[in-house]
Amino acid sequence: MLRFKIRKRQEPLVWSSCLILFGALVLSIALSAVMLALQGKPPLDAMVLLFKGAFGSRWAVQDCLIKAVPIFLCSLGVAIAFRLQIWNIGAEGQYALGAIGATWVALQLPDQPWFVVLPTMLAMSFIAGGFWGFIPAILKLRMRANEIIVTLMFNYLAILFLDFLVYGPWKDPISFGFPMTREFSASAIVGKIGNTELNWGILLCILSGIAIGVFFRYTRIGYELKASGENIRAARYAGLPYDRLVILAMVLSGALAGWAGFLEASATINRLQPSIIVGYGYTAIVVAWLARLNPLYIGIASFLLAGFRVGLENLQLDLQVPAAFGGIMEGLILLTVLMGSFFIDHRIELRKKL
Amino acid sequence: MGENSPAFIRLESISKSFGTVHANRDISLDIHFGKIKALLGENGAGKSTLMGMLAGQLQPDKGSICLHGKPVAFSSTKAAIKAGIGMVYQHFMLVETMTVAENVFLGQEEGFFLQPKKMEDLVKDLAETYGLQIDPCARISDLSMGEKQRVEILKLLQRRSQLLIFDEPTAVLTPQEAIQLFTSLKQMARQGKAIVFISHKLDEVLEIADEIAVLRHGRVVDSLNRSDVNSKSELAQLMIGRDIMHKIDKRPLEPKQMVLRVKDLCDNVLKHINFEVRQGEVLGIVGVAGNGQKPLVETVCGLKPVEQGDVSIFGEPWYRFFSRRSWSNALCYIPEDRRGLASCLNLDLVDNFLLTTREGFSKGPWLNKREAEKKVQGLIDAFGVQPKDARILARQLSGGNLQKMVLAREFYRRPRLIVAEQPTQGLDIAATEDIWNLLLKAKDKAGILLLTGDLTEALSLSDRIAVMYEGRIMDTFYTHDTQKINQIGLMMAGIVP
Repeated sequence: MLRFKIRKRQEPLVWSSCLILFGALVLSIALSAVMLALQGKPPLDAMVLLFKGAFGSRWAVQDCLIKAVPIFLCSLGVAIAFRLQIWNIGAEGQYALGAIGATWVALQLPDQPWFVVLPTMLAMSFIAGGFWGFIPAILKLRMRANEIIVTLMFNYLAILFLDFLVYGPWKDPISFGFPMTREFSASAIVGKIGNTELNWGILLCILSGIAIGVFFRYTRIGYELKASGENIRAARYAGLPYDRLVILAMVLSGALAGWAGFLEASATINRLQPSIIVGYGYTAIVVAWLARLNPLYIGIASFLLAGFRVGLENLQLDLQVPAAFGGIMEGLILLTVLMGSFFIDHRIELRKKL
Repeated sequence: MGENSPAFIRLESISKSFGTVHANRDISLDIHFGKIKALLGENGAGKSTLMGMLAGQLQPDKGSICLHGKPVAFSSTKAAIKAGIGMVYQHFMLVETMTVAENVFLGQEEGFFLQPKKMEDLVKDLAETYGLQIDPCARISDLSMGEKQRVEILKLLQRRSQLLIFDEPTAVLTPQEAIQLFTSLKQMARQGKAIVFISHKLDEVLEIADEIAVLRHGRVVDSLNRSDVNSKSELAQLMIGRDIMHKIDKRPLEPKQMVLRVKDLCDNVLKHINFEVRQGEVLGIVGVAGNGQKPLVETVCGLKPVEQGDVSIFGEPWYRFFSRRSWSNALCYIPEDRRGLASCLNLDLVDNFLLTTREGFSKGPWLNKREAEKKVQGLIDAFGVQPKDARILARQLSGGNLQKMVLAREFYRRPRLIVAEQPTQGLDIAATEDIWNLLLKAKDKAGILLLTGDLTEALSLSDRIAVMYEGRIMDTFYTHDTQKINQIGLMMAGIVP
């Protein structure tokens, strides 16, 4: 009789880990295909449609890039907290609050030139999103409140607050009752790059990705975050300022998600409305794990997951696949990736029973 | 032994190693029906590993286990229980929300419907037979530690175990509960069960055991009958060991200024601790683990506040010393738990090196890792760490090499006070001697407070020795005071000579 034995790997994997993650992705796609088949949809055609819809045309790729921007920023944010083993799943709410902060500036300064309005919006969304990360951090440190629960609850608070604003005080008087603010003035809108559909938000992504990469690799605080995340007991032993690191990570985490909200409101929709809440903050968690918290890989994974979103819109139109299928697929990816990371850290030995 | 009563279980030349650490080497042991056998040894002596193999938790690398003369091999705890061997662990495995009777019969229920009344009656009978007072209907979550332990014992008795192994059973008990446990153990032995009792506490071993096997560094150093033991100190000497003095070059003491002074330190464990450490000397604190060493170290290293009494470091009061940010620069703590506390196993050696030295390599917000890597490469050569690669993960190093890396890091900070806690526990002889020589070399510039359960280590390194027992320092003396040295065993057992 054969028996299994699970052991932690001594030597870290390098190339095989890429292979395992790729395998996880393939497995999740295969599982999705099975689920489609169960609904009576042709699975192979559906997968072809999905990929064509996502990456099959110049327009589609641009759409993917546009959607990848908020996912990337949110994911970069949660990755910072995850490095410290702080489970911030509140990117969704921090994103909403960032959008609210940016909108407030846009509504307050309708007549200022763009070089005044946009930096102010950038700063305000950073502060607002960061604030939404700061509170759970404080609650965690002072009251030992579990950050998973608190950040999750804060998502609902933020989204309901956004609803309140667009249904109430900030509602556009000429919107025929639709819940939305006035359209932003031209100076409050992040412009498009050349004659593409892409906006300058991509530049912000690249810069912040590089900045975070450098921060983790070359700065002292980045190192302290990494070490504390690896072993909190060793961090205390070495006198690392754990509490301050938690606050920093959560604020930074929230602030990046806040920027995503700012870009979505300003560049993509040009106003604040409830439809900006589409679950980017949750997709960001999947992306962060898929990318193993590495900024460069987060970029690639964001693009990939944005592609799934775009492709699924295609499926919905052509095959009448329900919208919820997108969430299911993301969930499957997260599950297979988590399974994959188990195999990256452990190996399984078969042995004969004595 | 063994002639008139047949050995129930015979362990023959059992060896077991984990990586490079030999937990058990060539151990042979007989266990008899109707007798209580104590396995005595320090933490890390290999007691739990040995019994883990008997209980099917681990499998031996070499050697055999014979049950009633027939060789057996247990692939799991389940197989061992089936053969009549069960172990009561330090951490109880009970379902907190269920009753005593339900826990005892967990996994053994018969039929489709539970028969609570029948189970409760059976548990009651069993408990009475062995003098284990318990209410079969009580919920586990309402029970004391002692009662929970009784449930664990009942579980084994219900499964008709003939050999019951207890891993440090009194560690979680109040003194009264411990007395009750001893009574039950004696009763079980009288009824023909074999009992193995793992412990490092001399008093209880002498109180309860019929036979005693003393383990040290993974070997059985002596096996004796209770009646052959004359004194507690004899056992203590056996357990701690005083074998050959190693080839250690210990220079004579030339103490300079005071680096640590502890005056009248008290808390719920410590009782009026007084000592001082000067630059250029090693003060060895010896004692069986769990006699107050941990709170003492934590207080000295700033991890636990001073409750009563005074501690001063480099002449500064404790609170002022630890309120400054750069405190870590002249005080080094080498903890017992080198894997869990002194290092991040998933980071490479450079990152581990930076844990406590990062201040020396930062410039503004930046951290100069290239320079740190060069330094680490130099230290790897200087301290003889294998393999010679600064970029491997800490988890890939053996215990001895990891400890060398920890010392290299801590010494790099030019400490003036070093607190070393069991610095060579679990290391092989070569690594142990390397670590000892490194510590002695560091003594020129620093005062060293050494906490150890290994008498050889204490005598090889220390200039003065303090013996700790139940939170008190029994005596402090110089290592050339041979008369006192010979009384260490007694003092460790709490006897004032």
